[in-house]
Formats: sequence, C-alpha cells, structure tokens
Amino acid sequence: MGPWLVGTIPFGLVIGVSAAEANIPTFVGWLTGPLIYAGSAQVAAIGMLDGGAAPTAVILTATIINLRLVIYSAAIAPYWRGTPLWWRLIGGYLLVDPSFTVGVERYSRDSDRERGHAHYLGGALVLWSTWLLAIGVGAATGAALPDWLGLHLLVPLYLVGVIVPSLGQPGVRRAVATAAVVAAAGFSLPMHLGLAVAIAAGVGAALLPATSRPTASERSDR
Amino acid sequence: MSAWMVIVAAGIASYLLRVSMISAPDQIRLPVRLEDSAGLVAHAAFAALVVTSLAGTVVGTTAVQATPSVVAVVVAVVAVSLTGRSYAAVLAGLPAFWVLTAITIH
Repeated sequence: MGPWLVGTIPFGLVIGVSAAEANIPTFVGWLTGPLIYAGSAQVAAIGMLDGGAAPTAVILTATIINLRLVIYSAAIAPYWRGTPLWWRLIGGYLLVDPSFTVGVERYSRDSDRERGHAHYLGGALVLWSTWLLAIGVGAATGAALPDWLGLHLLVPLYLVGVIVPSLGQPGVRRAVATAAVVAAAGFSLPMHLGLAVAIAAGVGAALLPATSRPTASERSDR
Repeated sequence: MSAWMVIVAAGIASYLLRVSMISAPDQIRLPVRLEDSAGLVAHAAFAALVVTSLAGTVVGTTAVQATPSVVAVVVAVVAVSLTGRSYAAVLAGLPAFWVLTAITIH
C-alpha cells in the first residue's frame, strides 16, 4: 500500500484545496471524501457544484465516473464468498482503485483467506484515513493561501500529470482526445451535462475500434 | 437540492455501485464491454475535467487574462511528456502561470 499512499496524499491535498476554493461550504467539499470516496468523482462533484451545475447532473456524472466500482465489486466478490454480511458491507465501502489492486493481488497469491481479509482491511483502512486527513489538510490550508498562487489550476495540472504518461496506449489516447474535444464542445450544455457526455463519448471512442477489428475467421479469410 | 444533499446522494449511489456485485448471486456476470471500459473511464474523466476546469477559468475573460492559465496547462503537458514524471505538471505549470500573470499584469 506504501506506493499508493505516496500518490494518494498529493491528490487528497489537491482535492482539499479545491474544496476550500470552491463556492460551497468547505466541510461539504471535505465530505466528498468519506461519502463518495473516489478522487476523480470527488473532483467532478466539487467542480460542478462550484460551477452551479444542476444536482442531477452532479450525481449522474459522479455515478458514471464511479461505474468502474461495479467491476471491482465483481472481481473481488469471489474472494469474499462466505464472509458475513457486515464484512462485505464494510469491505465494499472501502473498495477503491488502490485497495482493490492491493487486495486482489494478495488474495491471488495467498490461499489463506483470513490473512487476505486482514491484509485488505488493514491496507484499506490506512488508505481511507490517510485520504480523509490529506483532504482535511488541503481544505484547512487552501482557504488561507493567496489568490495569486493560482490554486484553481492545481486540479487540472495534477490531472495532466496523471493523463500524459498513459497516452502511449492507443485506447487511452482515443479516450482522452475524444473526451477533451467533447468536453470543450459541450461546455455550454445545460445542467453541466457536458462532463458526463464527454466521459461517455471518450470511453465509447476508445472501445469502438475493437468492434471493427477483424474477427479470427475474417483474418483467416485473407 | 442543497450541496449537502447532492453529496449524500452521490455517496449513496457510489456505495451501491461498490456493493452491487459483492451481494449479487454468483451466476451474475458483467458484460465484457463493461469490463473493458473500466480502465478507460478514469482517463476520459480526467481529460474532460481538465478541459472543463480550464474552460471555466477562461470563458468570459479576455485573451490576455486567459493566456496564463492556458499556457500553464500546455507547459505542464510538455513538461510531463519530456520528463515522464507526473509531478512535473505542477512543478512546471504553476511557475509558468505565476510568470505569465506577472507579465500580463504589468
């Protein structure tokens, strides 16, 4: 979990600063941590509320961004069969990209389920508390920092740092390019729906070529 | 609906997504296309967030006022491309913004 924490703390600080800068109560911005508990959806929710987006658009966008959690949920479910309901409800609440990766990696190489559960829960709780603390520190300090620092740029700059190294993958490149263009074109869409539309278009564009790829039988015909 | 309620509703939706398959019967399987899209959603979301954040900053301003923010993002893209380091985006982008803001103000 260590390497994940190193990457998580700056992101949490950035979200905290954006919560402090946004036109919503800072505590509400911080609450995205324990309630939504997924960085990209939190950034979107805070940014959209700050921009005056319609509530349905905010909820829809956060839900679309978090759709991947269904896949994580499906992937980790086999390891949690036979566990009590309370365990699955708590474990599920803590399920997010780092805890999922660390948890599944441990489950897949250690047949002792009890140790795997302890590893998952321990790592996930450390991540959760670090995340909330980082957002809190960012929110507390962000409001006191002067405007000339340009902290409103912190989130887009941070995200650029996450996106650019992944652009070597063609699918990611298509998703990023399409989402960026559609987001720009749809910036004025009502209820700030442009963000949700852009994400859907980006994912669709990335997946589209896979359907037009020749099938095995088509390739053998050539 | 207040910001509080929106966050609570988004939080409930997120939680339901998390526990959806954990509590589903074993025979339920996700469509392959949905599984394929898992790794792409975050990148598409990040790209859209960068553009909408930037647009929110520059729309309605003059070209001179918009330049520092736009150039800062471009500098960040170049810095990360050249170094391969994620943190280079903030380390190069923010100073570019400060310098350009100072120049355009005077």
